[in-house]
Amino acid sequence: MAHATHAKQLPADLSAPALVDGWRNRALVVGVIFAVLAIILAFLGQAQDPEHLGWDHFLRAWTLGLMVTWGFAVGGLAMLMVQYCSGGKWGLLLRRPLEAMSRTLPLVFVYWVVTAVFMKRLFLWANYPTNGSTAAAVKTGLITETEKYMIDFKRPMLNSFAFWWVSILCFAIWAFYMWHLNRLGLKRDADGPETTPHWIKRLENISGPGLVIYAFTMTAASIYWVMSMDVKWFSTVYGLLFLVEQGFQVLALGIVVTLSLSKEEPVKTILRRTEQHDLGKFTFGFVMLNIYLTFGQFLIIWSGNLPLEINWYLDRIRGGWGVIITLDFIFHWLIPFTMLLSRDLKRNKKRLIRVCQFMIFAVAFNQFWLIEPNFPDAARNLHFSWGILEYIAVPVAMMGIWVAYFCMELKKRPLVQVNDPHLAEILEPEHAIA
Amino acid sequence: MPPREGTYGLLAEFETPGDLVRAAQQAYKDGWRRLDCYSPYPVEEAAEAIGFHRNKVPLLCLIGGLMGGAAMFSLETWISVLAYPLNVAGRPTYSWPAFAVPAYEWTILWAGLSAAFGMLALNGLPSLYHPLFNAPNFRDGALTDKFFLCLEALDPKFDRVETKAYLENMKPVSVVEVDY
Repeated sequence: MAHATHAKQLPADLSAPALVDGWRNRALVVGVIFAVLAIILAFLGQAQDPEHLGWDHFLRAWTLGLMVTWGFAVGGLAMLMVQYCSGGKWGLLLRRPLEAMSRTLPLVFVYWVVTAVFMKRLFLWANYPTNGSTAAAVKTGLITETEKYMIDFKRPMLNSFAFWWVSILCFAIWAFYMWHLNRLGLKRDADGPETTPHWIKRLENISGPGLVIYAFTMTAASIYWVMSMDVKWFSTVYGLLFLVEQGFQVLALGIVVTLSLSKEEPVKTILRRTEQHDLGKFTFGFVMLNIYLTFGQFLIIWSGNLPLEINWYLDRIRGGWGVIITLDFIFHWLIPFTMLLSRDLKRNKKRLIRVCQFMIFAVAFNQFWLIEPNFPDAARNLHFSWGILEYIAVPVAMMGIWVAYFCMELKKRPLVQVNDPHLAEILEPEHAIA
Repeated sequence: MPPREGTYGLLAEFETPGDLVRAAQQAYKDGWRRLDCYSPYPVEEAAEAIGFHRNKVPLLCLIGGLMGGAAMFSLETWISVLAYPLNVAGRPTYSWPAFAVPAYEWTILWAGLSAAFGMLALNGLPSLYHPLFNAPNFRDGALTDKFFLCLEALDPKFDRVETKAYLENMKPVSVVEVDY
């Protein structure tokens, strides 16, 4: 056969190359430096008149770091399940990085515990556990009538007991899927090729319902952890926005990791331009879906003239925030869109990595626009304080530590799965796809 | 133009796309420039192998898209601001968020139409006759499961005997001579 003679050979050693250790060390150094910086900034912000919000800003920025790292961990798990359901050769390149992302869940849980412990500083509703307490707060002018009504109305869902237990239940469900899929992933490779059809079916059967459960749990988590910072607002598409954001950031990171790994064996052998191009196109899809949903949410609220909902947007447009949302539009959509439109860019490793790195930054930037205006000191009032710099320091520190953890997990497994029907195909020269 | 006569070229048939691409790469390396590949479905690497250059379809698509978007946005602005201003729930007559959706749709529509018709305008389709239709194996296989490389007589390197031997060296299924 002409096919067989031209196929590439897999290297004998399929484990992750040593350069991953270098990434881990660098990420750890960055993480520690920025953690120190974050603590200094918190003290500076705390001392600054008249707000004294250093530690509040630290916690808000912490939530931003939580949302981004959580997006990688749970989004990675979801993308893994999507891959098991859809199949395709791109999965062979991404599956191990996705598995490693999903296994960072314990670290994300630790991050979340900090947010949960200090919830009274982040969530207005957490300070008023009874109808009596809200009534008293209205009298002393701490909250408005609308806020009182909203807190009382939403109390069955927004109370600290539900916050803790719903979140823990969600973490338990994600942890189950993480454990189960990671375990089976290794088991599958230990089996011979005659078991391949069985494994494809089995992993598909686990992942299908898993995706539905993921959609529910991640909606609950995004509502509790971010949306409920503003008790007066709700949007039914909110969970979906985070879902698309996760696809966006997970694919961006997946591309960065895979293309960077391809400098050395074994990924060097299995990465072809066709699949790289496919991943670029897939990411482009999420760029479009993201602007579609975010703009759709705005358009519906804007055309509905909803007096209650529009305030959420006005908090994020007026008082200087218009600059941020304009930049957000440029960073999060315009730049990735125009760049990924190019076929040549998607087939150029270096440039595609640059764009994907930029997309990860854009995700964090977008979260800043979502989180900071929830608080009365910042709503319709973008202004400089030492505390606002926490939005750089804390997430970078958390991401640094997360990346180090991710690299550690990535090293634990061979980077190529052998029990996969696509392996033979991906080793062939590109034009031989019949 | 009077009808051409004589030999159009030599047509080699291959079983797999891989064989076709390797043969095409070899021929291009050996200095052949008047050559073409034929396959039942797009084989991008075959196009790359024979030095396929960029075409203007992406540019046409971009221009079409931008024009479509600009046209619809201007139309909406003209209608709502100048021609027939309506007060819709107190919103300004220039309400760009509402204009964005149709303008976007027109961008897509015009980008798609420009790409499709631009492609047809640039590649000379639809074409009713091609000399290769004279080869029976081409008629039978080109649309289903065979891959062809044609070295054309217009190339200065073309020689009926030598070229045939050259193609046969590439281990094709067959080499046939095709007339105009």
